[in-house]
Amino acid sequence: MGLTGLEIFKQLPKKNCKECGQPTCLAFAMQLAAGKASLDACPYVSDAAREALDAASAPPVALVKIGVGEKAFQIGNETVLFRHDKRFEHPTGIAIQVSDNEDVKAKVDQINKLVFDRVGQVHEVNMVAVSNDSGDAAKFADAVKTAQDNTSYPLLLISSDTGAMEKALEIAGANKPVVYAADANNYEAMVALAKKYEAPLVVKGSDLNSLAELVEKVAGLGYKNLILDSGAREFSKVVADQTQIRRQALKLFRPFGYPTIAFANNDDPIMESVNASTYVAKYAGIVVMTSAAPEHILPVITLRLNVYTDPQKPIAVESKIYEILNPGPDAPVLITTNFSLSYFCVAGDTEASRVPAYIIPVDTDGISVLTAWAAGKFTPETIADTVKKLGILEKVNHNSIIIPGGVAVLSGKTAELLGAEVIVGPRESAGIPSFFKQRWLNK
Amino acid sequence: MAVTIAKERWTSKVAEMTLGPNGLKVGGETTLPFLHFEGEMPNRPVTALEVFDMEPQDWPDILKEPFADVLSDPVAWAKKIVEYGADMVALRLMSAHPDWKDASADEVAKTAKAVAEAIDVPLIVLGCGVEEKDGQILPVVAEALEGKRCLIGCATAENYKSITAASNAYGHSVIASSPLDINLCKQLNILITEMGLSLDRIAFDPLVGALGYGIEYAYSIMERARMGALTGDKMLATPIVCFVGMEAWKAKEAKDPDVPEWGPQADRAILWEVTTATTFAIAGGTIFILRHPESVKRFNAFINEAMKSNAY
Amino acid sequence: MFEIIGERINGLFLDIREAIANKDPKPVRDWAVKQAQAGAYWLDVNTGPIASKEEQAEVMAWLVKTAQEAVELPCCIDTTNVLAMEEGLKVHKGKAMINSTTAEQAKMDALFPLAANYGAAIVALTMNEKGVPKSAEDRIALAMELVANADAYGIPMPDLYIDPLVLPVNVAQEHGPEVLEALRQVKLLANPAPKTTCGLSNISQKAPNRPLINRTFLAMAMVCGLDSAVMDACDDELVDTAATASIILNQSIYCDSYLKIFRQK
Repeated sequence: MGLTGLEIFKQLPKKNCKECGQPTCLAFAMQLAAGKASLDACPYVSDAAREALDAASAPPVALVKIGVGEKAFQIGNETVLFRHDKRFEHPTGIAIQVSDNEDVKAKVDQINKLVFDRVGQVHEVNMVAVSNDSGDAAKFADAVKTAQDNTSYPLLLISSDTGAMEKALEIAGANKPVVYAADANNYEAMVALAKKYEAPLVVKGSDLNSLAELVEKVAGLGYKNLILDSGAREFSKVVADQTQIRRQALKLFRPFGYPTIAFANNDDPIMESVNASTYVAKYAGIVVMTSAAPEHILPVITLRLNVYTDPQKPIAVESKIYEILNPGPDAPVLITTNFSLSYFCVAGDTEASRVPAYIIPVDTDGISVLTAWAAGKFTPETIADTVKKLGILEKVNHNSIIIPGGVAVLSGKTAELLGAEVIVGPRESAGIPSFFKQRWLNK
Repeated sequence: MAVTIAKERWTSKVAEMTLGPNGLKVGGETTLPFLHFEGEMPNRPVTALEVFDMEPQDWPDILKEPFADVLSDPVAWAKKIVEYGADMVALRLMSAHPDWKDASADEVAKTAKAVAEAIDVPLIVLGCGVEEKDGQILPVVAEALEGKRCLIGCATAENYKSITAASNAYGHSVIASSPLDINLCKQLNILITEMGLSLDRIAFDPLVGALGYGIEYAYSIMERARMGALTGDKMLATPIVCFVGMEAWKAKEAKDPDVPEWGPQADRAILWEVTTATTFAIAGGTIFILRHPESVKRFNAFINEAMKSNAY
Repeated sequence: MFEIIGERINGLFLDIREAIANKDPKPVRDWAVKQAQAGAYWLDVNTGPIASKEEQAEVMAWLVKTAQEAVELPCCIDTTNVLAMEEGLKVHKGKAMINSTTAEQAKMDALFPLAANYGAAIVALTMNEKGVPKSAEDRIALAMELVANADAYGIPMPDLYIDPLVLPVNVAQEHGPEVLEALRQVKLLANPAPKTTCGLSNISQKAPNRPLINRTFLAMAMVCGLDSAVMDACDDELVDTAATASIILNQSIYCDSYLKIFRQK
């Protein structure tokens, strides 16, 4: 969305000099808002106003690119507060922190293993954060080198010592790591370093006011490849600050028009995991954790996958044979669609029934059973084709399939096309356990 | 540089419900979850742990372990739940299910009464999940529990009439359950209020999914419902019930004891239940029905942090 | 949510004129209740023509008090007499609405401070000394004047209700599309945007099929961004149209009973 007439008017000199050809500054503002005039026509507009107006055409949250190569990723470019209003654009980057006081290689090896397969897709963490806890520049540089040599993930370099940062960037700068952080004391030197390597720079305040102030100073030095840290570490304050920064960014308050970083670091790994999940849902561009144990990371990665799905796009699972509880040749074959929720409901309730079974999701472009039936995507033909293509009837000894009760009308034609028995199952997946008990096991 | 804090001017609030012999209050918030800087959250989200009226058939060992000596004794089980620190007891009348014992209304009402007598926290009574059967047994249960200010569910579009009428007559509140559709949630709340039950005695259940299994659908329903509630849509301005335990413990990630690449089951399983709960808490969930006592402890630790002031 | 401003408590109607003359509160109360039940969000209160400014102020205060004794709704105080406006505001409970200012500087300088002082919403007409503009462009230029002045007086944009002035379709047909276009553009003037309103029944003055014209225009205007209207709250089909348009525009969450819910506050 462009600037409104009122916002432009506030930046104009309000002299009503008519030199732009309009009778008043107000009229000129309207022309600008409508894109029918250029600011150049105003001889008296200040440089500051011109800059403010130029900047206003930028997106609400800047896009920031992190790293190089295959594991590079982007954050920012967000446009909403709630995923249902449109969608969240760029999934939060998950960074796992390693201290230059610990065995860096061992932890990086652990981090490299945080790769999970979920319904045919690979999900992983995104960054290794190296922190200069030792306070020793040489030790930090060594740790950064070890990390870089042992992982392909981009790095997040944590040190407030500009000398240490300089050394670390000599090693890792070419790979566009995130520089953490410019604060009120060191920002001039940090900006110079980040500029030199064109690396994203975190600006760290001690509250929202000091953050806004510092961002203005950093922008004044000509650097805008930024990520924001309000300095809050207490959970409820982080939630408030993250919410404020996103709200203000969407209202085009320019100092907050950048993605954010949040630290979930906690001695208790369960609390760290739960807090990290919340920050993923509540607007963090990057979330930092210290645990590299899969049981603590998997929930965060899974929630990120869920929250960052596009609500306007149905999510599909792969159309293939899914085996629940190690089914054998006498196990039932359940047909559903590849809408992820349909599949998950059928799979969950099948597991709950404790009856081993096969599930075959027919590719309906990820839409649900009744919608797909109405749209002509869940038909005797598509069911029969999928069953044949996947060869499921060759795996079982009963030559029958079970279709959802809601599409009972498809049973006759499907049976004909397949040359197999088509059993009408329950309308809702919740009915699967009793269906098995009453209809399948007694068969 | 002074930043002008962006505060929403909400015009409305969520209804406040009072439950149980101890008058536990839920709901009543005048802003989105944990945004204390712009509104009030007078009551924290609350927890319940589940009791089955017969030994559960499909619970993994890690879930049975904390209740090992009481699984076949609902009264002892309920007392143990109170000791574990849950705010409420959620009694699930599984034995009424036609596939299990097909217990009669009188039988389950007797159990419900015994459980209610044994505890001093609010009781949530849940049917067996078969709508027709629940429509028959829950009114009898509601009568047996007269005056206990229970929360009774689940009332659905099919069976809400008998459940609502009885709950209204005997002083209980109702859980209105609709499958993952905000329009149906709203309509069922309307139908129930039209029978004379006031909005502060309804909590709605949008049928939540677990982390990794469609959690985002109910998450967005809750966010939309809360936005509606705060901007004047009274028919969605009721507390929200989240059946977290039931869903989370269906997930492989919680149930499976042995998947090396996911790490040891203990933390993983608890995190599956807790993360599902906390995610709904930040979306607007109010009443969290869990299964593992460790999850209650962890969830409460999270809520303690979330309830701290963040005023500017 | 679409805000209906119930038009019925107005001295131009015979029963209200007589009520004012006899100091009889009953008709005022009855109409307040009736309009509230029909789904009104504000009650427009207008004394009708009264010669003495002082007497008009006194009547306005009486109308506001009487209406608010009957229902909890806020009033839209409808008068060109600043004294009557202030007397009405003084006795009003809750957030009132001032109806109205124009883009004439003197009026803005009198009424915007009043709105700011009383925390009231205010209706602002896109007209000035030169009268009602014909084009959408000229209406928007005046709306911009109103927005800039209201902002300077510290009035939050959601409290400013821009009225692009609806004229009768049978005599000023060419204004129709201009009003609709102006409604669209008002939303681009500021962020958050000002609200919009209009005197709905004007569209159908002295034409046959008045209810049909009113509700057709209402639906069209809502698509263009109309947030409220001074209208006949007791015209059930008109209110049904507002409810349905509001659902189709995704302004409130659908449910099967939406017509009924729209009327509940």
